[in-house]
Amino acid sequence: MCGIAGVISLGEVAERLVKCIHNLEYRGYDSCGVAMVNGGPQVHVRKNIGAVGEVSEKERFSTLSGHTGIAHTRWATHGAVTKENAHPHSSCGADFSITHNGIISNHERLRSRLSRDGHNFVSDTDTEVIVHLVEDYFKKTNSVEKAFVAAIRELEGTYAVAMITSHEPDRIFCVRKESPLIIGLGADANYVASDFNAFIDHTKRVVFIEDDEYAQVTHDSHSIKSISTGEPVARDVLELPWDSEMAQKGGFPHYMLKEIYEQPIVVNSALDIDEERIRDLARQTVEKTLTITGVGTTFYISQFAQYMFSLYGGATPLALSSDEFRHLAQMGKESLVLAVSQSGETYDTLTALRHAQKLGASTAAIVNVMGSSMARMVDSLILQGSGPEICVLSTKAAMSQMIILTRIALEAGVIRGVISRKVANARIKDLRVIPETIERILNEKSGFIHTIAKAQSHINHWLFLGRERYYPVARESALKMKEVSYVHAEGMPSGFLKHGTIALIDEKMNSVVFMPPKEQKELYDISMSSVEEIRARGGYILGIMLEEKGKPPAIFSDVITLPKAPAFAAPYLQMVAAQLLSYFTAVTLKRNIDRPRSLAKSVTVA
Amino acid sequence: MKALVLAGGQGSSMAPFSQTRPNPMIPVAGRYVIDHTIEALRLAGVTIVNLVVGHKQEALRQRFSGDIHSEVKVNLVEQGKAAGIGGAILAARSQFLPGEHFLLVYADTLAGANIFSVTMQSFGISNEPTAAICLTQSAEKYGNVYLGADMKITKMVEKPKKAGLGNYVLAGVFALPTTFFDELEKAQANMEKALLTLIRQNSLRAAIWEDAWLDMAYPWDILTANKMIMDKWSMASIHNGVELHNTIIRGPVKICQGAQISPGVVLEGPAYIGAGSFVGHNTLIRPYTCVGAGCVVGHGAELKNSVIFDDSVIGGLCFIGDSVVGQGANIGSGTMTINRPLDGKKIKVRIGKAMVDTGLDKIGAFVGDGAKVGASNILAPGSVMAAKAIIPHNLSYPSRGGK
Repeated sequence: MCGIAGVISLGEVAERLVKCIHNLEYRGYDSCGVAMVNGGPQVHVRKNIGAVGEVSEKERFSTLSGHTGIAHTRWATHGAVTKENAHPHSSCGADFSITHNGIISNHERLRSRLSRDGHNFVSDTDTEVIVHLVEDYFKKTNSVEKAFVAAIRELEGTYAVAMITSHEPDRIFCVRKESPLIIGLGADANYVASDFNAFIDHTKRVVFIEDDEYAQVTHDSHSIKSISTGEPVARDVLELPWDSEMAQKGGFPHYMLKEIYEQPIVVNSALDIDEERIRDLARQTVEKTLTITGVGTTFYISQFAQYMFSLYGGATPLALSSDEFRHLAQMGKESLVLAVSQSGETYDTLTALRHAQKLGASTAAIVNVMGSSMARMVDSLILQGSGPEICVLSTKAAMSQMIILTRIALEAGVIRGVISRKVANARIKDLRVIPETIERILNEKSGFIHTIAKAQSHINHWLFLGRERYYPVARESALKMKEVSYVHAEGMPSGFLKHGTIALIDEKMNSVVFMPPKEQKELYDISMSSVEEIRARGGYILGIMLEEKGKPPAIFSDVITLPKAPAFAAPYLQMVAAQLLSYFTAVTLKRNIDRPRSLAKSVTVA
Repeated sequence: MKALVLAGGQGSSMAPFSQTRPNPMIPVAGRYVIDHTIEALRLAGVTIVNLVVGHKQEALRQRFSGDIHSEVKVNLVEQGKAAGIGGAILAARSQFLPGEHFLLVYADTLAGANIFSVTMQSFGISNEPTAAICLTQSAEKYGNVYLGADMKITKMVEKPKKAGLGNYVLAGVFALPTTFFDELEKAQANMEKALLTLIRQNSLRAAIWEDAWLDMAYPWDILTANKMIMDKWSMASIHNGVELHNTIIRGPVKICQGAQISPGVVLEGPAYIGAGSFVGHNTLIRPYTCVGAGCVVGHGAELKNSVIFDDSVIGGLCFIGDSVVGQGANIGSGTMTINRPLDGKKIKVRIGKAMVDTGLDKIGAFVGDGAKVGASNILAPGSVMAAKAIIPHNLSYPSRGGK
């Protein structure tokens, strides 16, 4: 996972280039660099280890002069984090320079061949072979384009590559295979980048490059050709519906908080998704054997959907973590795999879908990023329309996925005849209450949750417990706690507790219990019995529950009481409270909230 | 950029210290509150501070009589008869030109880092009136605001009665265009009304402040403020000329020019010893202690989490814990402050006619400016001594002559 960017213009591009990779930092941030051509026989490269702000100051990126440049922010996969291993990488003659995102699987073979032919390698990266390969072919063909295509044809693995050369200083060459790359068309400059965030301040007009296509981008034009046939490819220019204001923090201290605050809007857009699309997908889930898949947060969302299908949809689908998908999936033409992914670029989930397609299954996806690999490869697609999610942790996108999957489950229930249309409509009406209730939670409970987070921030171990549909919510909430605050948290079914884990409970381990509303009486009662088990062992218990008649049970150490709302809305609202708990714990512990250590936004490597 | 700092209030809940000084002239972590504020304003790019003064303004006038902050020009503006926050703001109106914008600051609030930069950044996004907001455990004391997804404040409730609300509150820092003066005039100089009008027009933005924040309302808030600032210290700094013999120093301890530290003194940081102060043999200075300039701390004393204003005397063998001692006060030797009640309950302190629950389980004494405590006295948890008050020596065997 890395971010690559290129800018080409008639004016100076250094500052824009730095801004582009700055905007891509969530894709990786262990080292970065820029390369520029400015009329001389060599490409100028400056790079070092560290985040963009730091390195660009130290290496004075903005003083590099030139109209054509590429840049990179790295997330190491091959080779340690060193200055030499930072991109861009240059050829022996320093006349070519390349940035790359992905993994070249045959790089060792290529490297030994090129070394034998006299090429001098300075880094341990797989990327460096690409630039030497181009140099090699250029000596034979004396054509940059021919050399670029010949080199790319030799590569195995996944890649998005941008290249500049002093031989043709008026263009950027780029290519992709299974790693994201798009072209942005601006008023006075054109761009290439791993995603639109890089250049969203300058343009919303984009052109997507498909696998095995390469493009040449100049300051005022672009052309796309097929790697295998060399034929030009016509591709429409798309106008992204997101404005740059939406992609900025807009005054919030962190993207995470901003995105938590956007959930009322996001729930509304999920509820406004065309009913026909929902019905169409619901029909497919009824006609076929359904497997829902995702990984990390989206796996827990898939699990939540599993409960909703089971409780309202009349059948229990399989929910698989996409990284384990191929070890478990037995399927064929009668199967439907529904994938859930914010970015649409998640490696594990893409691999699962490819595997399913190979076995003959139909595929569908709920995806937030339009034009992403997943959006383009599945048979049926629902776009979330949640707007860009920049924080590495998923909050609003996950909320939207929960709502959309609930709608599909309810519709499937109607099609199967297990619930009436009237009941389904009543539940949808319950969901409509969520946006304003989330607003109230954010405005009235933030301080209270902050206070609890502060008071409990010395605790290093948390259990997140729930039963039924509250169980996946507990798991997702535990994951949020781990990701953002680096505090150990484990989500599990409350009933599971006494079969072992209860041995861990003492005053050093806190529990959070996602309580069902009293309306679900039986569930409420057995959830309370788990609470009593914990209490008996002296553990701190935080209850998260809806405001209902009567006082909250005194057995809890603290209770986050959520505003009155229909029982059906409870799990979604509890998730918001848990997001705030994780967020404020991380704030108290001074964590790097939008870019937690070791995490990247969309995991595009295995 | 200009700032408008309101420092004219009575701040009477800060008694006994507000009897003799305006609250911004209370020293914490070795500097007056107003100096912490002006330094933070300077770092946020402010070059002119219009300081509205009223209650006990002589202290502030004296403070800014010379050219102390060379990079920041401080203009004193008389609040006069103008009432309330709105009145104070309008009193300074003539100091601003049309089309300007400025930072409005309530001088009795203090933040753990630069709240002004954060507010200006947020203001810079839209050039709309912006209010810094923060979270506090006692939201019922402040203007509570609701926040929308676009960072606009959508609702405000002043001092809601319902306790337990966990809302964002106004932090006493605003970035405003000068057109706000007109809004305020239309609202009959009522700040709350003017803000509500902005909210109704959907044009009051919020800047979220997540670091520490404190409204200095009560005397025990001095200790919290002192800790808040000292917590940011990471290094010891001892003035070149200070001689140390057999002194133990742990953590970030600051010792200023001309201080005399006698042999055997133990200093546990964060702690501050002001210019020209004397610390006697074998005295123990524990964390979060701030001794002002020109003080005398006798031998064998123990000071803990306390703020001693300038020119005070703490006699030998005293224990001063979780206490504030005013300027020029004199604590006789062998005096003990008891900082914890035996029943373990939260301590209540008499402020005016009311007993206020501090929510704290350790508080010593609050000794007003110029007060004198005779030798061998024992001060109860949460005791308050008025400025210039006197407690006689606690004599078990009075001689015929003295008292």
